[in-house]
Amino acid sequence: MNHLSDLHLDALAEVFSIGAGRAALSLSEIVGDEVRISVPSVQVVNSEDINSTTLSLNSGRFGAVNQHFSGPFNAEAVLLFTEDQALKIVSDMMGSQMSLEELAEFEHEAMCELGNIILNACLSAMADIFNFTLESSLPDYTVASADEILHRLKEDANQPYVMILHIDLTIEKRHTAGNLVFLLSSASLTNLVAHVDQFIGRFS
Amino acid sequence: MSEISAKRFDMEDIFNALNLGIIVVDAVGKVLLWNNWISKHSGIQEADALNHQLENVFPEPISPAFLTALNNTLTYRLPVVLSTALHRTPLPLYHASEVNQQQTRMYQSISITPIQSNLNESCCLIQVTDSSTSIKREKILRSHSEILKKEAITDGLTDICNRRFFDAHYEMAVADAKRQKHPLSIFMVDIDFFKSYNDFYGHVAGDTVIKQVAVALKSQLSRATDIVARYGGEEFVLVMPHLPKKVAEQFAEKLRNAAFNLAIPHMKAAPFNQITISVGVCTGIPENDSNLLNKADAALYQAKLKGRNQCISLPLCEAEEYLQQ
Repeated sequence: MNHLSDLHLDALAEVFSIGAGRAALSLSEIVGDEVRISVPSVQVVNSEDINSTTLSLNSGRFGAVNQHFSGPFNAEAVLLFTEDQALKIVSDMMGSQMSLEELAEFEHEAMCELGNIILNACLSAMADIFNFTLESSLPDYTVASADEILHRLKEDANQPYVMILHIDLTIEKRHTAGNLVFLLSSASLTNLVAHVDQFIGRFS
Repeated sequence: MSEISAKRFDMEDIFNALNLGIIVVDAVGKVLLWNNWISKHSGIQEADALNHQLENVFPEPISPAFLTALNNTLTYRLPVVLSTALHRTPLPLYHASEVNQQQTRMYQSISITPIQSNLNESCCLIQVTDSSTSIKREKILRSHSEILKKEAITDGLTDICNRRFFDAHYEMAVADAKRQKHPLSIFMVDIDFFKSYNDFYGHVAGDTVIKQVAVALKSQLSRATDIVARYGGEEFVLVMPHLPKKVAEQFAEKLRNAAFNLAIPHMKAAPFNQITISVGVCTGIPENDSNLLNKADAALYQAKLKGRNQCISLPLCEAEEYLQQ
């Protein structure tokens, strides 16, 4: 992991904070109440080094929103929340429109949308700041255990790097923490670093 | 799509046959494609939509979230989903028969994907599916499950709680009383000489008696915390928290009276010649090895031995009994 200095990570954290701000704005419009999202830290690790602690995955089940994107660099982006929290976020977002029982049917779709908003906001912030265009698949939502998620993150030998964004989300006074994980090939990581370098270069 | 199949079918026929809404807009939001499904559910013909700004095509406003999403897709070329849960009815679409009647809007799931035209223009494909059916299905399933849930805990003959519900409730009530150290009362109730009633009057009449007694017992309860359940055959059980022992004993007497006052004739039940019940009650603060239910049952047995149509109260532990003497 010699590619990335603290300066790179700070720059990425800044880019994703802008994305988080945009996502919060979109979510606020939907919820009709203040939504705050912050990205307190960005980490890049070898996928073989990730474990349940890096992702703060405890026991229980997790909701994962997936989007594959491509462009100057390719990555699989996965947004992770514990299933309980995911359900609470969705029910908060829907307000009194629907009861928790009704949620089951709509949870997947609503989580797809929530993930889509956060992922797209982060990707579009990158696109604006690094001045490139990314393409993306539509989001998928799956529910899985911590083990299944770790297995999935590690199984792809072509994507040995993992960029982890810790995300804090506050909707209507409910605080939730999740993770946004990008799986990157080494070529993609190199390209990303090159773009971050250009970005830093503009200011130095 | 292979060249052969593209030639074999007219793509327009396929779009128009689809059972979902398809709209394509160009980079500035002008409509390039408007399929039959959308015409049918919006009441707006293709000719009136093509080459117009999407937000101006509909007579009613489009939801701001939809316009933001479309704008984002046009700007960043990233696909967007709008879920039913969070948006319900972003576009003014209605079920076919309702188009001109200002009925409620159709629930929709929408996805917006960037596509490139053959002329290399950046366009957006908007797909709309009707989620009303899945909402309806969900509601039906839920009401079925509520009925089943109720059936699972209700006694079919008497409509009071069944044994399954009692078992679960008893366990919780005991745990609660233990934790909060408050008294719990268990009443075991049995209809006297019920077998001979059945033999003499028949099973249909027997069932009616069980129902009448169940109603009489239930009518004595007024607190939400109290339950009466059919324990089995002609046996009932009541669970009541927070009653002092004296009050519980008075209540047992009320139960006995309620059944007696039904005044159902029973020629084979001397000396009263009518339906009566025996009641065994046990009140106490449960501890680890104490069993209220066994004690109440033992009390009921004593009531039977002592001649029926009476109530017997037993303390939960021997020490209490000793103190009382």
